Parts: sequence; C-alpha cells; structure tokens
Amino acid sequence: MDVDMDVPMHDAVSEQLTPTITEDVDASGDDYQDIDFKPGSSGIADHKASKPLELTGENINQLDKWIEKLGKCEILSEDDVARLCKMAIDVVQFEENVKPISVPVTICGDVHGQYHDLMELFKIGGPCPDTNYLFMGDYVDRGYYSVETVSYLVAMKIRYPRRITILRGNHESRQITQVYGFYDECLRKYGSANVWKMFTDLFDYFPITALVENKIFCLHGGLSPMIETIDQVRELNRVQEVPHEGPMCDLLWSDPDDRGGWGISPRGAGFTFGQDISEQFNHTNNLTFVARAHQLVMEGYAWSHQQNVVTIFSAPNYCYRCGNQAAIMEVDENNNRQFLQYDPSVRPGEPTVTRKTPDYFL
Amino acid sequence: MSEQQEKQNAFRPGGINTIHIDAARKMHASTVRARVPTRAAPSASATAAGAASTARFMMPSPRTASTSSPGKAGHPRHKCNNPNNPACAGCGGVIIPSPQAFMPLEDKPSMTLGSWTVSSQKRPILNAGELETWEKEHLGGLGALPEMIFGNNYVQILDEERGWGLEFNALDALKLVKLEDSGIRVAHSQDWMASKLKAQQEQHGSAADGDVDMSAALEIVKNYDWTYTTNYEGTAIGPRAGEYEWRVDNSVKLPVGLLSRPDPILYFDDMILFEDELADCGISMLNVKIRVMEERLLLLSRFFLRVDNVLIRVQDTRVYVEFADNRVVREVKRYEGAYDAVIAQHRMSHSHDPKAALRDSNWVAEHTPVIERRCEVLTKCEGNK
Repeated sequence: MDVDMDVPMHDAVSEQLTPTITEDVDASGDDYQDIDFKPGSSGIADHKASKPLELTGENINQLDKWIEKLGKCEILSEDDVARLCKMAIDVVQFEENVKPISVPVTICGDVHGQYHDLMELFKIGGPCPDTNYLFMGDYVDRGYYSVETVSYLVAMKIRYPRRITILRGNHESRQITQVYGFYDECLRKYGSANVWKMFTDLFDYFPITALVENKIFCLHGGLSPMIETIDQVRELNRVQEVPHEGPMCDLLWSDPDDRGGWGISPRGAGFTFGQDISEQFNHTNNLTFVARAHQLVMEGYAWSHQQNVVTIFSAPNYCYRCGNQAAIMEVDENNNRQFLQYDPSVRPGEPTVTRKTPDYFL
Repeated sequence: MSEQQEKQNAFRPGGINTIHIDAARKMHASTVRARVPTRAAPSASATAAGAASTARFMMPSPRTASTSSPGKAGHPRHKCNNPNNPACAGCGGVIIPSPQAFMPLEDKPSMTLGSWTVSSQKRPILNAGELETWEKEHLGGLGALPEMIFGNNYVQILDEERGWGLEFNALDALKLVKLEDSGIRVAHSQDWMASKLKAQQEQHGSAADGDVDMSAALEIVKNYDWTYTTNYEGTAIGPRAGEYEWRVDNSVKLPVGLLSRPDPILYFDDMILFEDELADCGISMLNVKIRVMEERLLLLSRFFLRVDNVLIRVQDTRVYVEFADNRVVREVKRYEGAYDAVIAQHRMSHSHDPKAALRDSNWVAEHTPVIERRCEVLTKCEGNK
C-alpha cells in the first residue's frame, strides 16, 4: 500500500519510464549517507558577483528561451540549471531579509511541485510580469513537478527581478527535500543529485520575509518569541541551511494557534503563537496583519486571530487527493485586498483523475 | 465579451463562474469516465494492450491470467447500486474501479452480492465549518486535528441477513486517539528544547527587560497523542449490531492461498481517512482498502506512522468474509520498531533512495517486528440478548 506522495499518478508514472540507476549515490554500496550534503557543495555559490546581475540582451535572450521551455513543462539541462542557479544567486543574495514590496501585488502560498496548478495560478492572477507576485515559499516536494516548478519560478525571478519575489519556505532545505520528494525527483529526472545540490545551495540565499507597503508582513511560517520587531529580522544571517531552532527556524515553521501566548508543539519542537502574540506584534510594528502560508486550508485561505493573521495556500487538491481549493490574495493600489480561489487545472486530453488499478492486496 | 475578458471576470465575485462550472463539469465527466473498465477485455484473454496493467494486477499471484476463469458468468449474483457505476460487462469485469478522491464531487459506489452490500464514499477533506464542528462537538480533547481529514469518506460492509455490518470512518478512528502525552518526541526535540532552556536561563541571568517571556513557553501544554495513533478496528453498524460479538481465536488464520487467487475483483476501493505530515517530521495516516470477489471479500484498514529518525508503527486490521458459509474473521496486527533498525534492513538492498522504501507501508510492515496479533470470529451473542 502506498502512502505519502508516491501514489502512482497517471502523469507521474509516465515520468518513471526509465528508472535511473544512479551511480553517483549508490556506487559505494550502503553508505548513502556519505553523499556530500554540505552547503555550497555544488559550487554554484563559489564565484558570487559583488553587485546584482545586470540583464543584458544576451541574458534576456537566454532566460526567455528557458522560460519558454519551462512553460511547456520541460526540464532544463543540468548545465543550464547550473547557469540558472548562478545567475539567481547574483539576484537574490542582494535582497534584504525583509524584502520591501509595493502594491499592487498578488500574494501566494505553498505550490509544492504542482506545476500545472501554478500555471493555473498565473491564469487566474494574471500573467507575470504584468502582475506582481509574491510567493511565500514551499515550491518543491509532494507534487510531481518540483523541478519544473522551481526552475520556472527562479527563471522568472531572474528575468523580472522587480516583478516577482520568492521567499524561502521550510521545504527549501536540504534535509526536508530528502524526505519529501524533491531529492528523489532530481535523481529520477537527472540521474544524479547534482541538480538537487545546486537548487538547495541556491535556497540558502532566498529572502525569508517581505513587507508590503509597511503594512502586511509576509513569511512562510509565523512569528518567533525571539523576534519582536521587524528590525530584528533584518539583523539575522539568513544564508545557511534552515536551522533546527532559533528565530529563522521559527519564521519558517511556526503556526498560529487558538491558545494564547507561546506554546510548544506536543511533538517536542516548534512554536505556536496565540492571538495576543499576533496582536502585540502587529501593534509594535504598525502592521495591518501577518500573511503566511505553511498550512493546508480547505478554502485556500483562512483568517485567524481576528484578522491578525491570514493563511494562504496555493496548491489545489494538495497531493492530488485532498480536494481543497487554492487561493491567492490580491492587494491593489489602494491596499484593498481580495482573495481569488481556484480549483485544480483541467488539462485537455489528460485525465484529471487517475483510476487506481485494483490490486490483490493481502 | 472576449474569451479573455470572460476568463478574467469569471473569477471575480459577483460574476457567474462559468469556468468553475465548466471545470466542475469536465471533472465530473472524467471521474465518471475513469470508472469505466478499460476496453482491453477483462476476460481471460488478456490482450497485448492490457498486458502491462494486467501484469501488475496479478502480481501477488504466480498464476497467469489464463488460468482464472471468470466465465462462470451466466447468472451474476451481484448488482450495482449506484447508477453512476458503469454497467457490469458480464460477470468478471472490474465494475467499480476507484477514482482518486477528488474535488467537491461525490463518489459513492455501492454493490450488493448475496446478502452483503458494500458501499464506499470519497469526498474532499473537511472544510472550515465541518472542522469547527468536529473540534467543538466530537474531538475537543485533541489539541490539533490532523491536517487532512477525509471526514466524509467511509467503507461499509453490511450483511442484510444478520442485520450486522462494519464501517470504517475517520471520526470513530480519531475518537480513539489517546488524550495523554504519547511520550514520543521528534528527532531534534532535545536540541530544540535545550536551546530554549539556555535562552531562558540567559534571560533570567541578565535580569530580563521583560520583553519576551520564555518561561511560560517551555511547557508542552496540550497533552494528546500528536502521532494520532489509533487502535481503531471498525465501527459495528446495522439494526442488530448489538446481537453479535467478536470471539477471539488466535488459531484462526486468514486463507492467504484463497485470497491470493486472481479471482476477478468486482469491487475495489482505496481511500485515506486521515493523514498528517507531523509538521514534516514524518507521516501519520489511516488508509482503508477493500476488494470484493465473487466468493469472498477482504478489507484492510492500515494505520501507518513514521516519525523520522525515531520510530515506525503499523496497525493492520483485516476483515475477511467468506460468502459461502458467511464467516467473518477479523485479524489485528501491530508492528513497531525503531526507525534506524527498519531502515538498516533497506541498506542491504542497494536502492538509490533508501527513504523511498519508508514511504511504502507494505515494505515497512514486512520489515518491522510484529508486537501483537489477534484474530477473532464474528459470533452471535449468547443468551443475554
């Protein structure tokens, strides 16, 4: 019986036509743990520029070609991914921990490798770069197209750096992606872990929060007891693997809760924060509310803490089985906001549901 | 209005959501289509086109398709109870293949075979309103509900003759989650707690300016089993449910030989009742599968828990019904083992992604020690009723 996301979906099965036997990882027998999982191991961060990438005619040409290819859900070659990631580092490394954003902007939550639904998102929200986008992390894992999804978003980021912002989610990490699919998908699609190494090295440079018109604080997870003011976020050293504890960990992991104050999850790690905490934070920082992602909500968005916090989730029919709607939040020039909900994309000629073949389970 | 504008407007409140309607319509059509058996005839002669799927289909049994003869057709004893089900193309066809859980679209197949009626339903996860009701009225003790609850899903078998049946649903399963500390902590818990303690001590030491009060934060307040481990073995249903009981007889074994025979499957469903990703520290999931053949049925409800780098737990409940003598057997098996011990067995088998095996609950169950087995037979209560 399959659990997790390995349920053989129609469209995923076709990906697996050639099971890749990867010498890279397996050559040494049982010591798979010896793979070099250290930050920076792909070398893409070895020669960072000292100033932001300038878009030349040549660059633009190249990027547009990549975007066109990725727009058809085709992966880039490994060499191109290396070039893409190097360019991306020279864009995102210069962004602040708290990226300032002006309106209008459309704010989106988790995407999780659901490439076709991301394309649907752009149909509903309006094409990029005509619409400004802010994504709050979790581009990879779970869905079957993490590579295409993250390549596309990163390419768009380089091509339109002022139009699209991509924050880091807790899944943009080496450790999590090894368990939840991205690592596996890279092995399958490229035959080695190189592409996975490049992307996870790049993730270290993603900004972790954004601030829309000084009014909406946007991040993947939630608040941290060690962060009282937004200025404290500015002081963090974010370029690292997502740590197991501390303020950066909390910002990417914590959840709002009905119970007041700070709580510790019964799992023994991770904070929850109550309405009093959100109210205090919003008051201290003169914010309207906090926008975050990180949790599945059936309606695609959910207010909590009496409109002090909103959760936005942009992966419809999450894991291809939840039947939930997705949503994005538009904030217009006058700071009015509106939620757009949407269902999974319907692809002409392709089945949207997969029949599970009856099996003789015992 | 151009098509483009129409698209734009379709999603604005106040307009008519034509795209939504169209999407729903297409979705419905494809779901219904997905139920229709593939044209590669389900009969004994497996065509080349059907060979690939048939091979997988028959996997557990070494027999070839040609030895199974569903051809006793003549008088099918079963009938479909839902008009959306495709017509049974003669006995032996797979009449109710299972589409994935999908969209706000109800999928509710049902069939009757002799005195037994089998039904199942798949719906999306609970919405905000339903969740609130569950929290308030049914599961108040659980600090947080699993993030995916397929609360309207169920699998049901009912013997009209006895007036007894068994249902598997998420609510009854979650009611059995213990309201006490499980004692289980995620792998990095110690480090995490230690760093918090240190921060707290430093703060006290430096006569805290009172900005962040950590002392209250170090207690785990909600004590419930966050792994959602449940000993759920099904809910008795039917007008005379109370007249029957399970009599334990551990000498009874499930007839693996009979159940491995590639008899045509008349009814199949496979669904999740609840699932939680444990904040990306593993997975907790309750899944139910059923298959009905002409002579017997097998239902498997599996609770699967993996706390990464900590532990593995599986609880299987199998219900087996032999129609000829109307015998109902339930077998419960619990497996538990340390994560490292289980994954260590996989290191032998040269795979490029060892963790993939830990997502396959069949592999995990095979490689995790059994800590309890119980077998029982459905029996009419004596005397007191």
